[in-house]
Amino acid sequence: MKKGIKYSILVVILGLALYNSVNIEPLDQIKKSKSDLIFNAVSYASDFMSNKIETLPAINASDFLVNISDDLDNYAEQKGRKLGISDEYHFIIEGNATITAIEEEYVTVMLEGDKELRIATDFVFGNAIRDGSGMANIDDYQNTMDFNSISVELNNIVRETVVPPFKKKAKIGDALYVKGAVTIDSTDPPLNGPKVIPLIIKFND
Amino acid sequence: MRKRAVYLVTILALSFAGCNSRIDKAQGPKKMAVVISTLNNPWFVVLGESAAERARELGYEATIFDSQNNTSKEAEHFENLIAAGFDAILFNPTDSEGSVSNVKRAKQANLPTFCMDREINSLEVATSQITSDNFSGCVALGEYFVRKLNKKGKYVELLGLVGDNNTWNRSKGFHSVVDHFPELEMVAQQSADFDRSKAMEVLESVMQSNPDIDAVFCGNDAMAMGAYQALVAAGKEDSVMVFGFDGAKDVMDAIQDKKIRATAMQSPNQMARTAAEMADKFLKGKRDFSKKTPLQVKVVTQENIDEFGAYGSDN
Repeated sequence: MKKGIKYSILVVILGLALYNSVNIEPLDQIKKSKSDLIFNAVSYASDFMSNKIETLPAINASDFLVNISDDLDNYAEQKGRKLGISDEYHFIIEGNATITAIEEEYVTVMLEGDKELRIATDFVFGNAIRDGSGMANIDDYQNTMDFNSISVELNNIVRETVVPPFKKKAKIGDALYVKGAVTIDSTDPPLNGPKVIPLIIKFND
Repeated sequence: MRKRAVYLVTILALSFAGCNSRIDKAQGPKKMAVVISTLNNPWFVVLGESAAERARELGYEATIFDSQNNTSKEAEHFENLIAAGFDAILFNPTDSEGSVSNVKRAKQANLPTFCMDREINSLEVATSQITSDNFSGCVALGEYFVRKLNKKGKYVELLGLVGDNNTWNRSKGFHSVVDHFPELEMVAQQSADFDRSKAMEVLESVMQSNPDIDAVFCGNDAMAMGAYQALVAAGKEDSVMVFGFDGAKDVMDAIQDKKIRATAMQSPNQMARTAAEMADKFLKGKRDFSKKTPLQVKVVTQENIDEFGAYGSDN
């Protein structure tokens, strides 16, 4: 009789231990929580391009060009954004301009004050938008590849939605408003007009 | 009764002392451990030696540990250096996932870890991670690659270790550019584990089925040298362009001699010095570190080679 009680207690203890060590959850719930953890760079970039760029603060493009030719180092340090330890600074600029040349890789525009910018239409790559806008902080990304995917997707949106209508409509002499992102290497400043990755282009009809 | 109480207190005191596995430090300079993934690659030798040298300049004792590209060996090093009472770890991980538990163990022992060159897949355990901006470097290298090939041709990509985030950040940066040019065709993409001899073997095998390639993009300089050797053996070194990544001395010399087209210069020296200086600041009380500090990578070509020294040193 005593033995029976002993075994029963043992069975209850073992049962309790097993019950507490196993956690059963529906498979679809597990799959959902895993997919919630996967960063979606496409939707993050798309939200930024659809909802944030109109109100994104930008430097007047003519002032920007004057300042980088006067004192690039100081100006970049004060107004530019950079990632980690780097000579590259990123800016968001805007201005009204007139198209002066249409080439394979660029559309060149003349700003007020006879300063030139080159709007990129072919080589739309790099981190100018992500880092110029400060939209994302690398410290928030466990895997740097997620952080880099933001740039890839932002550039894809520009390449697919901003550049084609611009190239289609652009003619020499057209007046337009441009807002875009620029990267300047302080040790290797551009000899021609800086290259701008366009975010918004509006023709002044 | 009193005797018993004394024994009990003595036993308790001994047990508490035993719980703390780190050896009490004697008076003397503080110690930094430099744990390197492998010393079988000159780039990592420079990384390790630069870290140790900067730590010594800052007044610390510094010891270099070689993990021989083996996460278990790395775990052993961590156990030993925690027990030996080191004060900080300058760490080049063997694996972005596998090395997390080692850094976690160090954190639990109140030992700050500063990752160098390779990141680990955790934001919680390392004090800071100082890495090259591999992605941006390969975007710039990709643009140069596209221009040199006049936007068309067949190429091979040799990847590094598949468990290393740097491998994929480099590949992704490169493809974020090259894939937008439809006349550039990748005929093979294979891993050669960042290894020179393996790269030579892999490219030799790829060229048997694809003898008409125009370029080889390699995820590091050791593989670029291996690829170049394979091309020399096949008599194709003048017609196929080779691109590397690192800024290693032999590749810098090969660029100077017009054998290799370009590389991306990442400075192990600057990375190691930054890590040692951060560790020094930590040990002096600073706590607000950026979790990740990327270092710019610059493209070195046959046109601008004179502006650069090997491993990012001044020329």
